[in-house]
Amino acid sequence: MKRGLITFIALWVMAFSSQLFAEELIVYSGRSDKFIKPVVKVFTEKTGIKVVLHTGSSTALLNKLKLEGERTSADLYISNDAGNLQKGAELGLFQPMDSKLVGVIPDKLRAKDNSWVGLSARARVLVVNTKDHSADFVKSVFNLADPRLKGKLAITHSSNESYIAGATVYLRANNEEVVKSWLSGMKANVGSSVFNKHSKIVKAVASGRKAIGLVNHYYIYRHLAKHPDAPIKIVLPDQRKDDMGVAWNVAGAAIVKHSAKKKAANQLIEFMVSEEGQKLFANVNREYPARPGVPAAEKVPTRASYKVADVPMSDLGEYRGATLDIIESVGMP
Amino acid sequence: MSASLAVPRISMRSALSTLVVLLASVPLIYVVIHSGQLELAEWANLWSARLPGLLFNTLSLAILVALGSFTLGVSSAWLITRREFVGRRVATWLMILPLTIPTYVFAHIYTSLTEREGWLGLLWAGIFGDDVPNPELYNVFGAAFVLSIAGFSYVFLLVSDALTRSRVDIEEAARLHGLTPRQVFWKVSLPMLRPAIAAGLALVVLHVLSDFGAVSMLRYQTFTLSIYLQMSGRFDFQAAAGLSLVLVALSLTFLILERFFRDRQRYYSAAQAQRTKRRAATKVELTFIWSWLGLITTFAFALPVAWMLVWTWEAWQQSLITAEFWGYVQNSLVISVAAATLATVAALPVALFHARLRNKISQSYLHLASIGFVLPGPVIALGILSFVLSMLPWIYGTMFVLMLAMLIRFLPLAVQAQEASVQQLSPSIEEAGRSLGATPWENLTRIVIPVLRTGLVSAWVLVFIDTLKELPATLLLRPTGFDTLPVRIWVEASEEMLELAAPSALMLMLGTLPVLWFLMRQHDAATK
Repeated sequence: MKRGLITFIALWVMAFSSQLFAEELIVYSGRSDKFIKPVVKVFTEKTGIKVVLHTGSSTALLNKLKLEGERTSADLYISNDAGNLQKGAELGLFQPMDSKLVGVIPDKLRAKDNSWVGLSARARVLVVNTKDHSADFVKSVFNLADPRLKGKLAITHSSNESYIAGATVYLRANNEEVVKSWLSGMKANVGSSVFNKHSKIVKAVASGRKAIGLVNHYYIYRHLAKHPDAPIKIVLPDQRKDDMGVAWNVAGAAIVKHSAKKKAANQLIEFMVSEEGQKLFANVNREYPARPGVPAAEKVPTRASYKVADVPMSDLGEYRGATLDIIESVGMP
Repeated sequence: MSASLAVPRISMRSALSTLVVLLASVPLIYVVIHSGQLELAEWANLWSARLPGLLFNTLSLAILVALGSFTLGVSSAWLITRREFVGRRVATWLMILPLTIPTYVFAHIYTSLTEREGWLGLLWAGIFGDDVPNPELYNVFGAAFVLSIAGFSYVFLLVSDALTRSRVDIEEAARLHGLTPRQVFWKVSLPMLRPAIAAGLALVVLHVLSDFGAVSMLRYQTFTLSIYLQMSGRFDFQAAAGLSLVLVALSLTFLILERFFRDRQRYYSAAQAQRTKRRAATKVELTFIWSWLGLITTFAFALPVAWMLVWTWEAWQQSLITAEFWGYVQNSLVISVAAATLATVAALPVALFHARLRNKISQSYLHLASIGFVLPGPVIALGILSFVLSMLPWIYGTMFVLMLAMLIRFLPLAVQAQEASVQQLSPSIEEAGRSLGATPWENLTRIVIPVLRTGLVSAWVLVFIDTLKELPATLLLRPTGFDTLPVRIWVEASEEMLELAAPSALMLMLGTLPVLWFLMRQHDAATK
């Protein structure tokens, strides 16, 4: 019985360690499987390189990379948040990429040293109920702190990464005092009742339970695709002359510093920044392809039609700590 | 002569158990080293800024869950052991079935049920109208509700066991002296149950202190969640280790309290117990019993299972249950079987060592082996990760690391389960075997293991069930691409893909059922 057990264990260990030597790329992915699988499927068909997705939370995977150091089996890291990507770059976990490779993506959507590259962008916008006119006065995200919206505002809890990223953009485009009083005002409006999912915010606004919500743009279109008659519309905030513009955040990818398969990893990056890869990567989630000239999904406002806040995405990592400090000092739920 | 025979075996046992205990201490060593790197000013900062709030949150949750599990567990145990009624055996089962559902699944299901569009949300709106906001679970009461229905079964099991063994003659004497049934319950039965209740509540409270899944889904800031956020959001391992150390101190206090109560148990069970007689329930009692037990079952089992079935059906119809899904099932089974076997084997020398020596050293080994219970899963995982990377880098990335983590996390369960049956193994039996010419190996396989069979099986089953449900350590330590059912539930739930989380949750429950059935059968045989 004992020998059987040892054989059993030995077989398992072999079965799993043998995976390491097969010709395949290992991607630590903080992006939903559903949105990344269509991309890697086409990539595998084209190149014959298999891709294993190790999915988890972006921050936990970053921790794992840091702890593993040179023993990591990961070749690429993908996150939905530029803050995490920049954090990884600061920790020295990534290998800077050739500027010829990632140069097709605008400067502001990638790291200064090219250690990560943005692939698709999401806009931080307002979802408004079309029958309820009590929030019609809102032209800027800072109006969400207006006491007129007491009980009518829907926001996520403050540990949501899109929320933190949005607040960081507002912090960089303005200053600490502005963000602090904005958060305090919103806190007074929502009490302790916040949402844990953006999709639930859209639902609540569609059902009329809330008048207005702060979300990423694609949640609105995801809801409209299922319920085309839902009484909701998108409002792009901060578009007046002196306003900062809409906050963007990017999902992106990086090559892990200690990857043993840099060539294949570069191939995957090359595919993801190509026009075909860009379309696949962004459109499954109705995001904006980071590469100029590749159109976004239908119905989504074109990127030329509105003003985007002039904040480099790498700031989302560099100033995340400052944002967290403000959020904690206000005590946002 | 017998002494000279026993000496080499003890040293073998002591060597093996020292090894096991050293392994088990790895996460604690990690925590101590890292919190040692905290500067005094940082400690002061932690102490003033975070600790008061965290202590308050964690303790108030623990107290509420203790109250909740006490009410549910003791009431159901008393009704089931003291009254004979239609469906009594079914009722026993219904009270332990919630153990098959992990806390994070409860949390996930109840947050979607209580949404405005969820079943309970609609029911609420139907009764109170659209204008009254429905209660939310994102607070201490929500977390306490979820953890109580997920944990009361432990109290139920221990208390109903004690009730079947308890001495009815004392209660009868109290009745003869003129106490009302209610007075008998509060003044005689309940005090006699104190050790069992204390043990059950301690188990529940320890689960609360180390729970990660439910509080993270409900975003209720306890020590465990805060430690996790400290590590993953801010990359602050030192602060996380400092907080863990405080949590360890807190858990140890509970453990000592529990030992204190349990040591008094001997006094109560000293006399030979007379079998409890169950009185047939009257019609009124029957209605009451089934309404109460039915209410508990509805929330602790029926509703969640109905939810799982509905969404699994949905997933089935959209053909979302693919070959990959069966891969997750296989992964879960493999790691659970491996971990359960490993932990059962590893716990044996520790339990035997204690049975033979019964001194301070063996006692402290027993305590050290319990570290897995007092440290939160994410911290254990990190401790093992850094240990493996620095000491055993060649096993990194294999199943071994995950198995090691499960071993350390659930060793206390295995040791406790074996400790009881080891007590039946008197040294003279083994010595008799040796003097009749048996080799140490024969002694082990033909005497020790058969005597310990019950304990070994319970240990295996308990570790199997908990590994099957384990989340935080698996998330961090699994080999690349190795997804288990809990990992999938977590991934899908955080992306709000209800249809995909439901089949995994259902499989998890179904996977636990057979082993639970086996354990209960054994338990019944032991108490009959």
